[in-house]
Amino acid sequence: MTQVSVTPESFDMVFYDAAVIGEVVAEVAERLGLEETINLEIDEGSPLGRSKIISYDPIELWVDGGALENTKRPRQFGTGRARDTLGRLLLRILDRRSGRFDETPADDDLDLMQFVAWDVHCVGRLNRLGIGGQRQRRLYQFRNRHGFTDVADAAFEQLWDSSELSWTEIERISEACRAS
Amino acid sequence: MRKIFPAEELARDPRFIRQTNEQRLGDPRGARVAGGNSGDRLAKLTPELANGPDRARALMHGIFTGEIQALEGAGRTCWDFEVGEDVPLELKLDMARQCWDEARHCEISVALAEHMGTELGEFAENGLLYEAACNPDPVLRLTGVNRALEGLAIDVFNTMKEFGNLAGDPVLEFCEDWMLADEVTHVKMGSDWLRQLTANDKERLDKALEFQKVVDRLFSFNGFRGEDDDSPIQLTRRFRELAGFSDDEIDEIADMSREARVEAAG
Repeated sequence: MTQVSVTPESFDMVFYDAAVIGEVVAEVAERLGLEETINLEIDEGSPLGRSKIISYDPIELWVDGGALENTKRPRQFGTGRARDTLGRLLLRILDRRSGRFDETPADDDLDLMQFVAWDVHCVGRLNRLGIGGQRQRRLYQFRNRHGFTDVADAAFEQLWDSSELSWTEIERISEACRAS
Repeated sequence: MRKIFPAEELARDPRFIRQTNEQRLGDPRGARVAGGNSGDRLAKLTPELANGPDRARALMHGIFTGEIQALEGAGRTCWDFEVGEDVPLELKLDMARQCWDEARHCEISVALAEHMGTELGEFAENGLLYEAACNPDPVLRLTGVNRALEGLAIDVFNTMKEFGNLAGDPVLEFCEDWMLADEVTHVKMGSDWLRQLTANDKERLDKALEFQKVVDRLFSFNGFRGEDDDSPIQLTRRFRELAGFSDDEIDEIADMSREARVEAAG
C-alpha cells in the first residue's frame, strides 16, 4: 500500500488540496507498481514547472507548485499535469532501481540532451499506461536539444516507442544526434 | 450592430478560459508574462534554458490569443467610427488591411502551436489587448493598440525569431520574421495616424501619448522587456525606428523598463 505525505498540508498562494494531491501521487505510484512511502514537498510560491528527486530511497520528491498547475486556470490544481510530473519522477526512480541505469550520472550531472532523451523514454511509457502524454510537446523539446532533423525525429521515435531501454542505449541514441 | 463591443462578451469556444486582469495581477506569485512569471527574476528567453522550449510555447500561445484580439480590435475600429466625422476613410482601409494581416497571423499561430506541441486554449487568455482597443477615441485606440501593444509585439516577435534561430528551428524563425514585418507596418500605421490626426491638436496628442504610456506600463511587469542583455524580451530599437518611433520615445520605453526592474529588485 502506498503511503503519501504532502508538504505543506495546506496552501495559501494556490488553491490546492493536499489530500487530493496525495491521492494522485498514490494512484500514479500504484499504476507503476510502487508500493512504499512517498514524501512530496511542494514550493507553492513558485509558478515554474521544475521538479526533482531529493532521495531515491526513501522516496522524497520536490516540485514547484507550477508543476502541478492547471495552465488554463492559474493557481488551480491540474490533475493531468500532476500525473505527468509525478509519473516522470517515479519512473526515473524505477529505472535507476532496475539495474539498467547503474551507469547513469547523478541527476545534477545530466546535461540537457541526456535529460530530455531520458524524459522522452519516460513519457512514451507513461503515455502507453494512460498517464501523461503530449507527444508533440515532447518532440519539440527533444528537437530543441537534438536538432530539427530527420535523424533527431527518428531518435525520438525510438525513445518514445521502446519499452525498456537501458541508460547505455538512451545515451547512444542521443549521442547519434549529436554526431549527425 | 452596437458600437464599442465589451471585452467580456468576445466569442470564444469552450477551449478558451479567460483570466481577468484582477486575477492576473492578484496572483501572489506574480503575474504571468513572457512565458514565465513576473514574480521570478526571469532570464532572457533562449533555448539553452532548461525550461526554454516550454516558455516559448507559453509565449507563443499568448501571441496567438493576442492575434485573435488584435483582429477583433482592428475589425471594431472599422465599424465603431464614422467616416468623415470620426476618422478618414484611409484609416479604415488601414484597419481593414490589418484585419487581413491578423487573420493570417492567427492561422500561422495555430500552425506554430501544432509545431510546438501546444493545444489551443492550453493556457489562460488575458483580454488586455482588446480592452485597450475599446477606447472611444480612435486616436487613443490606435496609439494604445498599434504603438504600445503592437510595439511590444515587435519586441516579442524578434525575441522569438532569435529563439528559433538559436534552436535551429527554421519553421519558428521564418514564421516570426514574416509576422514581425507586418507588425512594423502596424506600428507605423499607428505612428502616422497619431501625427496626422493630432497635427493641430496638441491636447489630444498629449492624451494619446499618455494613454500609450499607461498601456506600456501595464505590460511592463518588472521591466521584462528592455535593452539589458538579460532582459527576457529584448527591446528592438531598429525595428521601432522603422515603425516611426523617435530615439527619445525608444529611450523612454527603455528607461521605463529599467526603472521597473530596479523597483522589482527592490
